[in-house]
Amino acid sequence: MRLVYAIVFVIAFTALVAEHLTSPSGGRPVSPEDFVGACAPCGAPCPSVQKK
Amino acid sequence: MSVAATPSVTAVPAPRLDWPFLIASCLALVVLIALVLLDGQPAAAALLILGFALGAVFLKAEFSFTASWRRLIVRGQADGFLGGLLLIAIAAAAIVPVAALVPGFGGAIAPIGPSLIVGAFVFGIGMQLANGCGSGTLYTAGGGSGRMIITLAFFIAGSVIGSLHLPAFLRRGGIDPILASNYFGPWGGLAATWASLAVAALIGIAIAKRRGVSITPSPKIVFGAIAIGLLCIAVFAAGHHPWSVTFGFTVWGAKIATLFGADLSHAEFWQWAGPKRALGDSILSDTSSLTDLGMIFGAMAAAAASAPFARNPWPPLKSLLAAAVGGLLMGWGARLGFGCNIGAFIGGVASGSLHGWVWFLAALPGCMIGIKLRPLFGLSRE
Repeated sequence: MRLVYAIVFVIAFTALVAEHLTSPSGGRPVSPEDFVGACAPCGAPCPSVQKK
Repeated sequence: MSVAATPSVTAVPAPRLDWPFLIASCLALVVLIALVLLDGQPAAAALLILGFALGAVFLKAEFSFTASWRRLIVRGQADGFLGGLLLIAIAAAAIVPVAALVPGFGGAIAPIGPSLIVGAFVFGIGMQLANGCGSGTLYTAGGGSGRMIITLAFFIAGSVIGSLHLPAFLRRGGIDPILASNYFGPWGGLAATWASLAVAALIGIAIAKRRGVSITPSPKIVFGAIAIGLLCIAVFAAGHHPWSVTFGFTVWGAKIATLFGADLSHAEFWQWAGPKRALGDSILSDTSSLTDLGMIFGAMAAAAASAPFARNPWPPLKSLLAAAVGGLLMGWGARLGFGCNIGAFIGGVASGSLHGWVWFLAALPGCMIGIKLRPLFGLSRE
């Protein structure tokens, strides 16, 4: 288990750093709730808005 | 087997510190902090550090929503459940008034409808099969459990599938979020939230007394509840929203799917402003991903600082199957139910949002079914 764990850790961390270095970032970290019209932690719209 | 029962162990003591994993976890945290600070994101660095602290506290306090709910259902033992309510009461003290009074801050809100109820119910089944909820999966996977790495992988997959199904469930109807502070003001909303927690605590105590079991939380549970409650407030201060876990999993899964050629950008969920931005930007720009990653490294550091890391043998195949099925159900359920115990229940109730209690009432029967299913996978009902 220890070896599997170490391999998963190294691959996941390398992928994470690579993803960060190749993706836009900067400014304050955001949550989907920060956006206008978000009605849930995932950014889903409110039912009253969906009905319109 | 205890050390006292094996004299040979005392002759050749096992190392207490697992240096490779302790150094790796701390180094990983430092590298991520450096990366976000280079981008000028001090709040992101704070969220990583707070996640690290949460991982260490959860592991050391062995704070488990899954086990405490199971103890309440099976034995009527309310100690862990009461600890969870204490945690929420502490977090609510800051979240309800600040979300109502300070511009830029917001509580965890969500619509109340079929999506929330079905999602929470399915999540409840999954958390008992997996033997851990969202936070539990993070800290046990980070703490060296290979079984929970499998749960995490399937949790991620399930949450991406859930993201594709959520819009259709939302079209089945529902009502807009109901927030206590909108009806009673910031302080009246806090009083209403605390009153609802007191009612839940009285029900828990009544169940325990009827079954003749303990209602006194252990010092470990009390410490965990207070520490995690205060850390919830700190996460809220840094991220401007209550702590959430599972949106990060959805983003990770979507990015992995994109890497393998799937185009999710046309799916309705991924066209909403928040998910769209998260899919395009770095993972380290998403608040829930930051605390999730910190939590994994924190649990790893805490585990490696006290015992040899990840030395347990793999569990039986049936148990691994339960981990996979449970993870998949939790992922799907969390996306439809607007989060897990952390984002939906703790975050929702601590924000004074009614959906938190609806989530709890829907997840509880799911847990009962999950507990009944556990023996099929070779797991005990307790």
